Amino acid sequence: MFEHVLSVIIFLPILAGLLLLVTPASKTIARFTGLVISLATLVLSVDLYAGFSATGHLEFVEYIPWVQSLGVAYHLGVDGISLFILMAGSVLLPMVYFVFSTKEKGYYANLLIVQGAMAGAVCAADMILFYIFWEIMLLPVFFMLGLYGGPKKLPATLKITLYTIAGSLLMLAAIVYLGVSYHAQFNEWTFAMDKMAQLNLSGRVAVFAFFGFMIAFAIKIPLFPFHTWLPDAYTEAPTAATFVLSAIMAKIGVYGVIRFVVPVFDEQFARFAILLAYSGVIGMMYCGIAAIAQKDFKRMLAFSSASHMGIIALGVFCMNMQALTGSIYQIVAHATSTGVLFLFAGILEDRTQTRTIEDLGGIASKAPVFALYFAIAMLASVGLPGTSGFIGEFMIILGAIKFNTAVGVLAGTTLIIGVCYMLWMFQKVFFQNTTPTSENFKDLTLVEGLTFLPVIILIIVMGIYPQPFLSKITPSTALHFAQNESVVAHQAVTTHALLPELTIEQK
Amino acid sequence: MTNDLMLLLPLIIVGAGAILLMLSSAYEKLTNEIAAYGSAVIFALAFLVQLSACITDEAALFSGAFNGILVVSNFSKAASLIILACGLFTALSSQTYFRQNNFCTPEYYSLTVFAATGMLLLTMAHELISVFIALEIMSLAIYILVGYDRKNVISTEAVLKYLMLGAFAGAFFTMGSALIYGATASTKFATIGKYIVAHGFLQTPALIGGAFFILVAFLFKAAAFPFHAWVIDVYDGASVPVTGYMATGLKTAIFAVFANFLILDETLQSGWINYLFYISVFTMFVGNLIAIGQQSLKRMLAASGIVHTGYLLIALVAVSTKDFTGGVIAFYLAAYAAGTLGIFCALSYLGGTGEKRQTFDDFKGLAKARPYSAAAISIFLLSMAGIPPTAGFMGKFYVITSAINAGQVVLAVLGIISSVISMWYYLRLIINMYFYEAEEEFNEPAPSSLAPICTFILVICVFAISLYPVAI
Repeated sequence: MFEHVLSVIIFLPILAGLLLLVTPASKTIARFTGLVISLATLVLSVDLYAGFSATGHLEFVEYIPWVQSLGVAYHLGVDGISLFILMAGSVLLPMVYFVFSTKEKGYYANLLIVQGAMAGAVCAADMILFYIFWEIMLLPVFFMLGLYGGPKKLPATLKITLYTIAGSLLMLAAIVYLGVSYHAQFNEWTFAMDKMAQLNLSGRVAVFAFFGFMIAFAIKIPLFPFHTWLPDAYTEAPTAATFVLSAIMAKIGVYGVIRFVVPVFDEQFARFAILLAYSGVIGMMYCGIAAIAQKDFKRMLAFSSASHMGIIALGVFCMNMQALTGSIYQIVAHATSTGVLFLFAGILEDRTQTRTIEDLGGIASKAPVFALYFAIAMLASVGLPGTSGFIGEFMIILGAIKFNTAVGVLAGTTLIIGVCYMLWMFQKVFFQNTTPTSENFKDLTLVEGLTFLPVIILIIVMGIYPQPFLSKITPSTALHFAQNESVVAHQAVTTHALLPELTIEQK
Repeated sequence: MTNDLMLLLPLIIVGAGAILLMLSSAYEKLTNEIAAYGSAVIFALAFLVQLSACITDEAALFSGAFNGILVVSNFSKAASLIILACGLFTALSSQTYFRQNNFCTPEYYSLTVFAATGMLLLTMAHELISVFIALEIMSLAIYILVGYDRKNVISTEAVLKYLMLGAFAGAFFTMGSALIYGATASTKFATIGKYIVAHGFLQTPALIGGAFFILVAFLFKAAAFPFHAWVIDVYDGASVPVTGYMATGLKTAIFAVFANFLILDETLQSGWINYLFYISVFTMFVGNLIAIGQQSLKRMLAASGIVHTGYLLIALVAVSTKDFTGGVIAFYLAAYAAGTLGIFCALSYLGGTGEKRQTFDDFKGLAKARPYSAAAISIFLLSMAGIPPTAGFMGKFYVITSAINAGQVVLAVLGIISSVISMWYYLRLIINMYFYEAEEEFNEPAPSSLAPICTFILVICVFAISLYPVAI
């Protein structure tokens, strides 16, 4: 539509959020502003999606030099990988403004800022720019958690903040190391992501830099064993913050791995991939088992989300195109299903004032629409065929078996754990006899129902007819592996053969 | 000739202005307020002149007029700009501060201008004796400023400590100069550099000793390990604006002359680099350890000043003698100055009468009562912690880049670990301000609007410096 659409998607929410913070706007105005801005962003993103031509390269590029002596630039662009995370954010965030009762002004302002910052991190094509947005992303979460969180918010806030900052500062060192290496090898200063793939990195420092990136992303995802901040933060955060954290921010961690680690550190990545894959699988199992034991449904969802992030990360570590495509598909599927589940959990908590599974029961008879929506989102989350979760998980496990049979088998069987705790929780909360707390449970209002409807439909459409989505992803992932031909040569050969194969798999 | 005069004009304005202010303080008609505005005008004038000199981008060696003892380079211009801006904001926030505290006399402002004179001279001096004179002009004024609140015991203790130790540092410096003069028969940096090139650095014991003594003096003034112990008490004892001034202007001047001295010659620099490496590591970590334990905000900021000295030392380790521009150091100093001055500006009107709000706990719930001030302080703290998109982040980014580029990967990583640790005490204040209920009401009106205005100008500076990295 127009030239600077990405900049607008990024800065419109940020500026609106800042404006809300500095002006004495009332709560209602804040909520309304947030809604309008996020809907405007949605419209722009949909337009972007329609205009995206799936060449596999960056599109909608904006380039303005910034620090010329070091080659840092304001450089934006989207490809098939980033587009879907951007879209997930734009589609999901407007829901938050519809659903809950009006909160403080700062709540909406922070939500807007985090939306813009996440879009920025996903669209940035310059490493320094990425880092800047990556850090800005954390600040609104810090304030939302600290100001509007639950009773044990302070330790949770400190944990997530220190954890993430420690990780991201190490990443900064790694980013600078890449820039300096590029300067040393090509005698030109740049921090552009696409140029880094040409780097020839080896030696001990490269391994350190690799882990600098990996740890930062592993903390954000969160990957086992860096997940310890997650249960506290997800549980204590207000619903919108949990939603943002699980639905989109965690995905940006995966995105970072795909964008930085895989193309740049091809050698180190190939060396450590099996280790990382196992850490993904262990994370899946560990968090899944932990989820079974939870009594608090928000905490259970937190562990479930972490468990599913493990499989998404696994898809990236398998180093083949199917798994990677599956990961990106699963990113969207997970964002829609788990994100919505967190919102439903927020509604449950809002209306019953409890988060304990034991206290609830029989909601299905009181609120059939709510139960139906919940069931669909939940089944998508556990990967039932016919929902969006199935396609992604299927492709990842297929890729995993190709990569390493043991990992694939473990990942496939672990999915059962997810079914286990989810169905058990669903049965307790929605069926069985009503308890005093859930007796007066009101069903979704018309506005709420209509708000969730598009996402629920999306879950089903993505499960039944994934081709239009996959066709936008595959060129980028194919290109991704074409770049790495030297190292993963045997996979690059199969890349072209995979394209028809992929379409068969969906049928 | 007129060009040279233009380049020296800021120094002349500040020097003459200081004398003028001092003389006119004898008249009763010169109230504190007028003195404050007067000093602000002097700083502003000098700043503008310096800025216009920066645009023309000229350097001068003054080989005719001063026999090469003063050198104006782009680095010295940048440092002078920072110093003059620090002076300006200090003068303005002092005006507000002294509405609530009543130990002010007009001489206070003339002393701040005197200190600035010494600092400007330091940035330009390329000769040991003039460095010493400049150092003493600056230090004497600062000694008095630290002890300005004569009736306050802590302040008196601070000035005594600072004076004694500072005198030692001065003595070390003269001793070092004497040794160097004995070895090289000159006190001019350029001639010393030539001597080292001709005869080698390690071959002349007197030169090594002399350089060592001078290094000690600089490290002391810059508050680097192991000469950092005085900082906490002195910063704590001085009044808020003076502490801000010391933490920013003085540090800028010292680092300017430090860099100028260190790049004399490659062998001199490489001879010290190993030591500076350890000194900067220890400075960062010791500073962090001290800062973590503090309850008082001022003491925490003093300790964080030590940590920032450590970062600046990283930049010093990484400078190359061949194409030295000082851009990284100047940029970091500017970023650091904006953040630190901002906090001290805010404290000078939030502190209350007699600086009654001192500890972290005293600022609990500030965000509810004073949302804008709390937001400003948070931005400064985030800048000091190096979180984007603030100036502190860009400063840290340049320092790390220059360190890795110079092959000092370990130093860069240690610097980063240190800034992770420092997050703890910066966040602590933000958490106190935002996530607690107010224990007291911050309802007294700001005594004057100057300090709040300065604070908000500095907030803009923090962002502007990061978005327009012209210095590099």
